[in-house]
Amino acid sequence: MTASTGASSVRGRASGREKGRNLFGYTLLAPQMIGFTAVGVVAIVWVIWLSVHDVNVLAGTQEFIGLENYSRILTDPSMITVLPNTFFFVCVLSIAGTIIALLLALLLDQALRGINIFRSIIFIPALVTMVAWALVWSFIVQPDGLLDALLGAVGIDGPPWLRGGWLTLVVFALIQLTKNVGINVMILLGALQAVPHELVEAGRIDGAGPPRILRSVVIPQISPAILMVFMLTVVGSFKVFEVVMLLTEGGPGVQSSVLAFEVYKQGFLLNDIGYASALAVLLFVLILLLTAAIWQARKRVVFHEND
Amino acid sequence: MRTTSRRRLLGRTLNYLFLCLVAFVALTPILWMISASLKSPSEILRYPPTIIPEEIRWENYTDVFALQPFAQQFLNSVVIMALVAVLTLVMSVPAGYALARIKPLASGAIFLALLSVMFIPPEATIIPLFQYAAALGWVDTHYPLVVFTAVLVTAPIATFVMRQAFLTLPAEFEDAAALDGSGRLRTMLQIFVPLVRPSLASVVVLACWYSWNQFLEPLIYLRSPEKLTVPVALTHYEDPLAGPLWGVQMAATTLSIIPVLLVFFLAQRHVVSGLTAGGLKS
Repeated sequence: MTASTGASSVRGRASGREKGRNLFGYTLLAPQMIGFTAVGVVAIVWVIWLSVHDVNVLAGTQEFIGLENYSRILTDPSMITVLPNTFFFVCVLSIAGTIIALLLALLLDQALRGINIFRSIIFIPALVTMVAWALVWSFIVQPDGLLDALLGAVGIDGPPWLRGGWLTLVVFALIQLTKNVGINVMILLGALQAVPHELVEAGRIDGAGPPRILRSVVIPQISPAILMVFMLTVVGSFKVFEVVMLLTEGGPGVQSSVLAFEVYKQGFLLNDIGYASALAVLLFVLILLLTAAIWQARKRVVFHEND
Repeated sequence: MRTTSRRRLLGRTLNYLFLCLVAFVALTPILWMISASLKSPSEILRYPPTIIPEEIRWENYTDVFALQPFAQQFLNSVVIMALVAVLTLVMSVPAGYALARIKPLASGAIFLALLSVMFIPPEATIIPLFQYAAALGWVDTHYPLVVFTAVLVTAPIATFVMRQAFLTLPAEFEDAAALDGSGRLRTMLQIFVPLVRPSLASVVVLACWYSWNQFLEPLIYLRSPEKLTVPVALTHYEDPLAGPLWGVQMAATTLSIIPVLLVFFLAQRHVVSGLTAGGLKS
């Protein structure tokens, strides 16, 4: 009898403690969660709501038009250029960006004299404001700028870099890549330095050459970091904005434009809020689908020590 | 014996060659910017270009301040950056602690929700956020640049980093603190928070860096020249008829990267560890 009351009172106290614990946890989470709900959730619901309306900014009216803005995306002739451009950056920046970052990280992981200086140098562009980087590059690729002069020194006439077409996209990709590769190199370098020496040593004793060790030991060990870099670059490549805005404003026409810039252009330059919102939702959905797909695929690609 | 040492020498030389090439690509734009910032308008457009200015023109740097309230704009960026960092800490440290150590009911779902916020591009929510700011009377103020940025971008990332940091600490610390009669709040503030100081530093650096780099948001929310932030101000050194004032613009751009480089060399270790923390312990 007494024992059971004792047990129940202990349980009562324990659940009381549990309640206090939950309450304390929620109090700590409150600032973040309230802010997130009041700004993030509201903004997402709002942008979806706007995307099914025809918004007239001057008259201040909003008329429900269903999915018309979305069907307009399908028939908009400029989307035939803008969407492939966007995917070009996503593919090139994420795949080439990750591979180049990995190669640079391996290069910088060696015990060479003065290696720290090179590590710092490659990280410097990542620190510079994207706007500053884009402005400096617009100065470099202008007609008769530094790039043309460098090519002229070896007898090549520089093509018109910013006159649209694939060349302009490549120039943009290079600007974006050189700007951000340093961050990815740092993440991968950190992972490389955390690879246990015993594993590499064991591989060497088993007679594996450097390429084999790289493929069978090092890459699996740093695969979570590679995945993270890949996801960061996928997300980041949807946000190619500053270069487009500052170097060509998406022109000529929409030849060098991307989805993110079209959202800005339609929403804030042309005041077509409803259509811009539909484009924004499309941008958001594309990123979500792609990151979810990568996240689903991670189990097949990423090596987990604990599994 | 001889051939291996020769091969090693060759390998080392190749490595240095590659390293120098990488350094060249990374540094040329910055050196070119500094060189242009000291040139006269006529020398800037000369072809073939000169690498070292023939005549150093310091006026570009004084023009930076004469053409725009650049000092004020610089201060704006610094103040916004500091406020974003503080707000980020205030939200992310308790939240990260709760997710890692307190684990209230449904904390897994909350964590997932926060993770998904990290993937929302600012472009996707800028339209409703602008209308939001307009409804609050926040257009042409710095509030949206502080509040929206911290709540939607920097604090979720920081919460993730803080959660990972708090997870690495052993559970014995809590038990010991509880035995000593320390309350939950005191345990958190006096025992756990001091132990994750490197992560606090990296969170601050990341928040500052993100805030300092923002372009689309200030471009949309701000109107008055004296309220602009540095990245937007950099794009305003243009002659409406003749195009960009390259010399002045490059001088302003040079000035804009100095504080970033300073912070980096002061906090290099933390920047790097902050970037690597999330990738390694998952």
